[in-house]
Amino acid sequence: MRIGLLSSAHMHVQAYVQGLQLFPEVELVGLYDDNSERGRAFAEKAHLPWHADLDALLSQVDATIICSENAKHRFYVEQSAAAGLSVLCEKPLATTLDDALFMLEAMKSAGVPLYLALPVRFTPGFSPLLDAVRQGHVGRVLAMVGTNHGYLPPGWFLDSAQAGGGAVMDHTPHVVDLMRLIAHSEVEEVFAEMDSRVHQAGIDDCGILTLTFQNGAFATLDPSWSRTSGFPTPVDVTLEVVGTKGVIDFDAFRSHLDLYQSRDPNHQHVGFGESMDARLIGAFISSLTDKSPHPLLARGIDGLRALEVALAAYRSHKSQQSVPIEHLL
Amino acid sequence: MSRLRVLVVGAGTMGTVHSHAYSRLADAELVGVVDPFNFNPRLATALNVPQYRDMDDVTPSKYDVLDVCVPSRWHLPYVLQAAQLKKSVFCEKPLAIDLHDAQAMIDAVQAHQIRMSVGHCVRFFPEYVHAKSLVENGALGDIAVVRTFRGGGFPSAWNDWYASRDLSGGTLVDLMIHDFDYLRWVLGPVSRVYAKTIRGEMNRLDFSLASVRFASGAIAHMEGTWAHQQFGTRFEFAGSRGILTHDSYQEQALNINRSSESGVAIPQSLDVDSPYDLEIAHFIEALHKDLPFRVTPDDAYQALRVALAAQASALTGKSISLAEDPSSQGGEIR
Repeated sequence: MRIGLLSSAHMHVQAYVQGLQLFPEVELVGLYDDNSERGRAFAEKAHLPWHADLDALLSQVDATIICSENAKHRFYVEQSAAAGLSVLCEKPLATTLDDALFMLEAMKSAGVPLYLALPVRFTPGFSPLLDAVRQGHVGRVLAMVGTNHGYLPPGWFLDSAQAGGGAVMDHTPHVVDLMRLIAHSEVEEVFAEMDSRVHQAGIDDCGILTLTFQNGAFATLDPSWSRTSGFPTPVDVTLEVVGTKGVIDFDAFRSHLDLYQSRDPNHQHVGFGESMDARLIGAFISSLTDKSPHPLLARGIDGLRALEVALAAYRSHKSQQSVPIEHLL
Repeated sequence: MSRLRVLVVGAGTMGTVHSHAYSRLADAELVGVVDPFNFNPRLATALNVPQYRDMDDVTPSKYDVLDVCVPSRWHLPYVLQAAQLKKSVFCEKPLAIDLHDAQAMIDAVQAHQIRMSVGHCVRFFPEYVHAKSLVENGALGDIAVVRTFRGGGFPSAWNDWYASRDLSGGTLVDLMIHDFDYLRWVLGPVSRVYAKTIRGEMNRLDFSLASVRFASGAIAHMEGTWAHQQFGTRFEFAGSRGILTHDSYQEQALNINRSSESGVAIPQSLDVDSPYDLEIAHFIEALHKDLPFRVTPDDAYQALRVALAAQASALTGKSISLAEDPSSQGGEIR
């Protein structure tokens, strides 16, 4: 299995490089980046072959992993599809519905799968959570309360033209994706409060989304980049599920060690065990090898659904009112 | 100093808490408990005071203060009668479960020139009080997003009155009003609210979420639950310079686990002093010394107004704008 990395714009590129090394059957052929300065620097640091010619790289691989700026996902997916390659794409799928639909169509026409990097599905608590809900342990799902807090990301994440938005665009996909699986229903209405209040970055950095699902369940999501330095966890994903017969409390990163170092005044949470990124990569590779998708691997359509919610949140913010979602495809 | 003589009406959960609090004070005297349904005769016995069936059975000259702890829907007639009798009033929260009743009480308080405070006890929980001072001292910078959680199991009380939306108002009005009031205290007026709640009958379960925007620009996410097991409270203030968190499930110095008990959870503070004792002591001291109340009738009215707007939002699916009206005209002018 030969894989090409497309762009090193997203900080998660590091996790893919490390994760891929765990799979001896995988050859990481190299990196292409439309920003050659950035690409060369990262390739050197990560000891990867640097490819200045995208087509040349695409002709040597079976699949690509896309870590570009959000707005360039379309370009890299289009190129991958044209080369007949399977794709694992960073989230969010795209920054506009037009781009998302184009990408899904391009991959479909090429007959190759488009997978989305939603690794929280692979954290230790989530599968048991989903099993418990599906087996009816908490009865009918009535409501969910989610958070996906983070720190202020750097660079292009703060440029709406490249990222598609701020915290709401960045931190809606993971939890909306989990909620869709749990509710077994699609979001039909969104209300959103959002603002730029934590940082002076000129882009939305905090908010609360309220979602209504087609089956009547409701949910909220806090996507704020509100983790200031000094907080022991830079990122969280938490989810509470309220059912007619009980409540489930999920914290994707709660299993941790507490590290206190005399040279660092801040106490840190340190994860252990196999990382969710490694599990995600494993699922991607097995899906390609087995030619059938791993059950926990998110597809392009999942990315479209999450994007619909994020874009509806921005519409709601403008109108200060709840807005309906008309699902495409 | 003469002791203020207090008559408590209602012998349920909060009537019991308040009666004990008065009985511990040096400058107040509990003179009796009115228990209209003879629900809890042990209360009067334990405190060695007379129990009455009706407020009218007590000679008005025998007391100075009426403390109203009957189910929320029935606060109005007691407060009106006390106002006519020129008594001071402590009314349990929520002041009422509709604005008409609340306004009628405030009008009566003003017409008869009496003093009234309302049982928004969270303003006496030391962890909440300290958080307010940290926010106000700028420890967190500008507040961006606040999260609050409050709740536990479904309350069990006289005639299961909490199960009737018409009597209790459910989680949005009965429970989350604590946090509506507290956040108004810390962050100021509310400008917009959007909320969701379980529809239909409360089958021993209720759950609500509210998204609130303050005039300051701060955003709050509020959760009120009678769908959990153990009672607890949490909050998180996230600001431009820091984060402050509280989680009662994690912060108890002492945990005693016993086989399951039912009833109405009485939240306890994590500090030595009972916040209910602090609340009642403050009320009595403010009456004695003619000092302002920490909770005014207008505070209670405004908190109810936000809670009812949240309820309206949950019913209509629309966000509700609350241009904060100047007041209910019920702020104490002192």
